[in-house]
Amino acid sequence: MSGNAGTSVLGVSKASLDALVAHFGEGAVTSQQRYDALARFEELPVRESIRGGRSWKRDLTKLDLSGVPTFETANVELDLEALLPTARRAGVVVERISLAREKHREAFEAAFGKAVDTRDDKFASLALAFQNHGVFIDVPAGAVVDEPIVVGYEAREASLFPYTLVRVGDGARVTILERFAGAENAPFVCAIAELVIGAKAHVTFAVDQRLARSTRIITTRRALLGADAELHLATAELGADHAVTKMRVAQKAAGSRASVTAFFFSAGDQHIDVETETIHSAENTTSDTIVRTAGIGHGQGRYLGNIKILASGHGTDASLRDDALLLSDGAHVDSVPALEIAANDVKAFHGATVGAISEEEIFYAQSRGIAREEAERMIALGFFEPAVARFPGEALRDELRAALAAKLVRGTSD
Amino acid sequence: MSERGLHIANLTAGVEGNGILKGIDLDVKPGSVHALMGPNGSGKSTLAFSIAGHPNYAITGGSVTLDGEDLLALPPDKRAKAGLFLSFQYPASIPGVSVANFIRSARQAVKPDDLTPAKFRALIFEQLDVIDMDAAFLSRYVNDGFSGGEKKRLEMLQLAMLAPKYAILDETDSGLDVDALRSVGNSVSALRKTESGKDIGFLIITHYPRILQHIAADYVHIMMDGRIVKSGGPELANEIERRGYDEIREEVAARVG
Repeated sequence: MSGNAGTSVLGVSKASLDALVAHFGEGAVTSQQRYDALARFEELPVRESIRGGRSWKRDLTKLDLSGVPTFETANVELDLEALLPTARRAGVVVERISLAREKHREAFEAAFGKAVDTRDDKFASLALAFQNHGVFIDVPAGAVVDEPIVVGYEAREASLFPYTLVRVGDGARVTILERFAGAENAPFVCAIAELVIGAKAHVTFAVDQRLARSTRIITTRRALLGADAELHLATAELGADHAVTKMRVAQKAAGSRASVTAFFFSAGDQHIDVETETIHSAENTTSDTIVRTAGIGHGQGRYLGNIKILASGHGTDASLRDDALLLSDGAHVDSVPALEIAANDVKAFHGATVGAISEEEIFYAQSRGIAREEAERMIALGFFEPAVARFPGEALRDELRAALAAKLVRGTSD
Repeated sequence: MSERGLHIANLTAGVEGNGILKGIDLDVKPGSVHALMGPNGSGKSTLAFSIAGHPNYAITGGSVTLDGEDLLALPPDKRAKAGLFLSFQYPASIPGVSVANFIRSARQAVKPDDLTPAKFRALIFEQLDVIDMDAAFLSRYVNDGFSGGEKKRLEMLQLAMLAPKYAILDETDSGLDVDALRSVGNSVSALRKTESGKDIGFLIITHYPRILQHIAADYVHIMMDGRIVKSGGPELANEIERRGYDEIREEVAARVG
């Protein structure tokens, strides 16, 4: 344990954790784990991986959580009835995470902390220390869940620290959609999603973040893939005042395949950071990352992408494609893709572009009768489409397209 | 009210202060096919872009009217609505916008609400047959990753779907293999046999005469150094094939000199 009641890091005090522990007792996260996590949060530096010599309006080094209510008991219980009955029919366990350790101990312990390592991650440590919400989903081996399981997190006036823990058994198939929404006065969300995926399982995990413009959210998403497993991990970061998302897929078993997708559209005064990383340390794994980032108004954002191939990652085939679109002079988006390769017999590709809408594209559309404004709208929305197209379900894709279109219209003023 | 036609009179234009077109006169009547031929750098594509309203080309004099309407006063999209179509030599790709959505938006822009969705669908499938493409073509992103032949087929699909009054085909034959060229030829021939296509006036810009084996021209014009130096009937294309541009250039120089 560390930290005195009087000290605080970024405005987070031990006293607030004391209060939380007194209230919750032992849940998914033990008291010991919480205090250890707080200590790590206090010790670890804020890792600002992309700087670009620019002074950013929003920055984790400037984070101040003092005065932010760290938890509240009201309104944070997950509505399990909203989780689809079809999931239950397939034998899937869907449980509030606070009860999961006790009720499904073996399955819980087979997954908890297996993909997320908070030892080197400051904000995953914070999320773990104050975890006050979340769900455990256990899909048994061979189960096929027809409809998506929707996990909805509704941020209110209290801070939300949700933990989504997913274990998927060998050969199972499931789609999970995590939604973040909330009230205008919701202050802070710090979340973890942890996916532990069995051999030959087929998993789609999509995130739709549309929090109110007052909210700050920091999320850590980690997946561990079994042999020949397939994961489609996707996040749409459209909401919040300041959103920071780090996604990492660990491909430590042979033959696994991952697609990673992320897009954000930073409008008005928003700042959105996304990091993705695929780590290939087993034979013949593949990953395919597509990222689309855009800014309008004075929106800011950063993308950091990495493909890491260890010496043991023979036969890896990994690609990373990220494109940034600037729709106003005041917007700024940085993009830093990287490759770290320690094996010889691999294929790795990355490509990146940053720019405004091309005049040649506009003229081409105009030459077909499409007015300039409509042409710009069409091209801007089309820019996101390769990312949107990888989200599950036409209904969700249409929702995301509509949300993008609305931001495009309001863009500069909002 | 002037009579119908795409009427180009004494047009001068250029890029960044460099004059390229040095006074072009051309009159394309409904239903007629004009071929504009000339060596590289003669200003053929500049003429096409100037008529269509490309922002990089500055008009310095002359006029272009479409059935009496002053095209030069209009932005590019209004020129298309007036009935102009340009088939690009190098069409832009628009990632994320499907061929079907693009053409639907374009059709809606130039001919609002004239087709029910079912009729639009029937028409586009009919036209896909003409260009030898299948339905999957419609869900691909506009020109994104297309081969040269696919790009030109998409230009022809749009030409048929938009049924303009006047169409400029800029080097539509360049870079095409025999099959793709035949497909383009078939597409134009089929269009000219339809009610909506029979009155389209064509200006076919080309370096080589071979596209004219698939689309018969009524008139052939030779362009050199920003001017039309010689006009005639279809036989002029054969003359180019036989003599080459250099010999014609010498003849013209001797005449002017």
